[in-house]
Amino acid sequence: MTMTPHKAHVANLPRAEEPSLVSRVVKAVLTQRIVLLAALLVIVLIWMSALGMGGYLTGSYDPDYLAGSLIDAVPMCMLALAELVVIVSGRGGIDLSIGAIVSLTGMIFGFAYGRWGWTFWLSVLLAVVVGGLLGAINGALVAYMRFPALIATLASYYAFKSLALVITNSIPISDANVTKLYGITRSIEIPVIGSQLPNVPIGVFTFMVPSVVVIWLVLARTTYGRRLFAIGTNDVAAEWTGLNVRSTRFVAYVIAGVIAGLASVYITGQFASARPDAGTSGNGLALPAITIAVLGGVAITGGIGRVAGVVLATLLVTWLDAGILLAFTGNDGTQFQLLALGLVLIFAALLNGLTQRRYGGSR
Amino acid sequence: MTTTNATTIPPATPSSGRTRGGVARGLLPPAVTGQEWVLIGVLAILWVVLSLTTPAFASSGSIQPLLSAVAPIALMGVGMTMIIITGGIDISVAGVLMVTGVTSAKMLVDHDASLLVAVLVSVALGGLLGLVNGLLIAYGRVHAIIITFGTANLFQFVGRQIFASKTVNGIPSTLDVFGRGEAGRTLGVPHSFVLMAVVVAIAWWYLRHVQHGRHLFAIGGDPVAARLAGVNVERRVLMTYVLTGLLVGMAAVFIVASGTSTLDQSIGSGRELAVIAAVVIGGTSITGGRGSVLGTVFGALLVQTVASGVTQLGWPSELSDLFVGVAIAIAVGADLIRKWARERA
Repeated sequence: MTMTPHKAHVANLPRAEEPSLVSRVVKAVLTQRIVLLAALLVIVLIWMSALGMGGYLTGSYDPDYLAGSLIDAVPMCMLALAELVVIVSGRGGIDLSIGAIVSLTGMIFGFAYGRWGWTFWLSVLLAVVVGGLLGAINGALVAYMRFPALIATLASYYAFKSLALVITNSIPISDANVTKLYGITRSIEIPVIGSQLPNVPIGVFTFMVPSVVVIWLVLARTTYGRRLFAIGTNDVAAEWTGLNVRSTRFVAYVIAGVIAGLASVYITGQFASARPDAGTSGNGLALPAITIAVLGGVAITGGIGRVAGVVLATLLVTWLDAGILLAFTGNDGTQFQLLALGLVLIFAALLNGLTQRRYGGSR
Repeated sequence: MTTTNATTIPPATPSSGRTRGGVARGLLPPAVTGQEWVLIGVLAILWVVLSLTTPAFASSGSIQPLLSAVAPIALMGVGMTMIIITGGIDISVAGVLMVTGVTSAKMLVDHDASLLVAVLVSVALGGLLGLVNGLLIAYGRVHAIIITFGTANLFQFVGRQIFASKTVNGIPSTLDVFGRGEAGRTLGVPHSFVLMAVVVAIAWWYLRHVQHGRHLFAIGGDPVAARLAGVNVERRVLMTYVLTGLLVGMAAVFIVASGTSTLDQSIGSGRELAVIAAVVIGGTSITGGRGSVLGTVFGALLVQTVASGVTQLGWPSELSDLFVGVAIAIAVGADLIRKWARERA
């Protein structure tokens, strides 16, 4: 915001004719967020495993434990992808209401599946449609009425959060049907090669991987994806090239809502109950999702962001958190998770600033 | 930047050439802006309707808690308004509130601290945390929203460590002078509200008539132009975050004082968004360059009036957030329509 790019600075730096291997590696780590995240991920895994073997952890930090901890990574990854799409759309794009959408769609899913006797698939469809509609409200405010996204989604955060609580008098839905949904978070053995590998939570295959693949396809392999990056980079230029900036941006918010609707089904399964505060209790789900997206290299100014970065950031945070949980007893673990997340985010952000000045930007 | 304008205005128009605090008069927005008049109107209508429909609303037993509840939000809103005017934002308010709140509460319980010591510690600590934010944002050249997302996590960690997974119990009545009880009022007005009003008055003057205050608007309008015009952008930005930290520290005292003798870890939760809501309902532009602290106070009053009204009408209290959301949308929508009309004219 208050920064000016110091272009002159870059020109003054001494440039080696033939960059050495070290400087190439440094440049790759600094400019390619994916390389940095992969390096951090390896460091965390080795460090934690070493601590585990040395007996400093209260449990074993082994592949089984790592695979099991993916249960929490599923919704985080999906919501971070939702933020990716919205933030890339530019003009200050952000969705503070994503946790509130999860709460509200989760309740409606709970009503349909638990109370109204709808079939599972019909209920999921309803959750997705409602999520899309709530996203469309955000999209209409931001894209067509030109509200700043932060404000529009702050307003809808309050509205959706309140509605989720009011429609059930703040009482969760825990009917038999809904409770049995806990099954969607169980762990399974991967077929064929699975006997050698740890059991993986089924949600990774039914929720996370499909979302990752679909979003990647949409962003990297469709004209819509190209348009989204175009309007995020410079919406005036995009307008002049004949793109429909408003509808493109509108759809980004709808996509985020749809993903949140899908995630709410998984989260309902995780809690074995549709809770009206599922996405809004405590710090809510929006702030961690935005944090992971930013950590994954999504530029808050729009137009820059990759699915692989978000997935790696999710894994980094999940496995770092899982390790921290073992390293401390009692409540201390969850507290140190906050510290780690904060430090990693600030470190990544400062590094981005440095990269900006040294190499003129990162990808 | 505005000073340069003032000196270039030809002396043939003496009225616009007169300056006060280095700022040409003609460049100032009206003392009470259109958005603020609208808010005053809405508040007046709400108060009349609520006092007619619920007999309890107009009583002092209802108005005094309302003013007590508005004070900390509006106080933090003063700092947040300045930050948002410069084009920044602070998500870490809840974390700062937690750290300063629990520290002052522990000082009271464990060390039997006096009122003055508790307030000073809370305010100083808030300023320190604000300094962390300010240094990272002003000199780290990273967008404020990202840094304060990060520091929000850090501060919550620090706060929870101080809490040590327990509630703070048996808080003595040392802070009662800022509390909800009889000791916290003079002539029926809560002291916390009066203190807030004084801070708002100073901030209003500072933002409108002091050169440094005008600089904040220049930075929010265009930081590059502001720097070229000689504004020390980094120092001004740093100052807004430190100031916000100080005010959050004071607000923490109000919140501890108006609570029960037990303080739990939910002290800050959701307040960062409540403060931002009050600021934007008050007409401050989230993109920077425009805004006023007076509007923020009315914004905070509106939010609290809605919450109080919903409770007294016997509606579920969760419903008040729905109205807050709608109020934000209407307030910002009205602002956008006025902007659109200005551009058409």
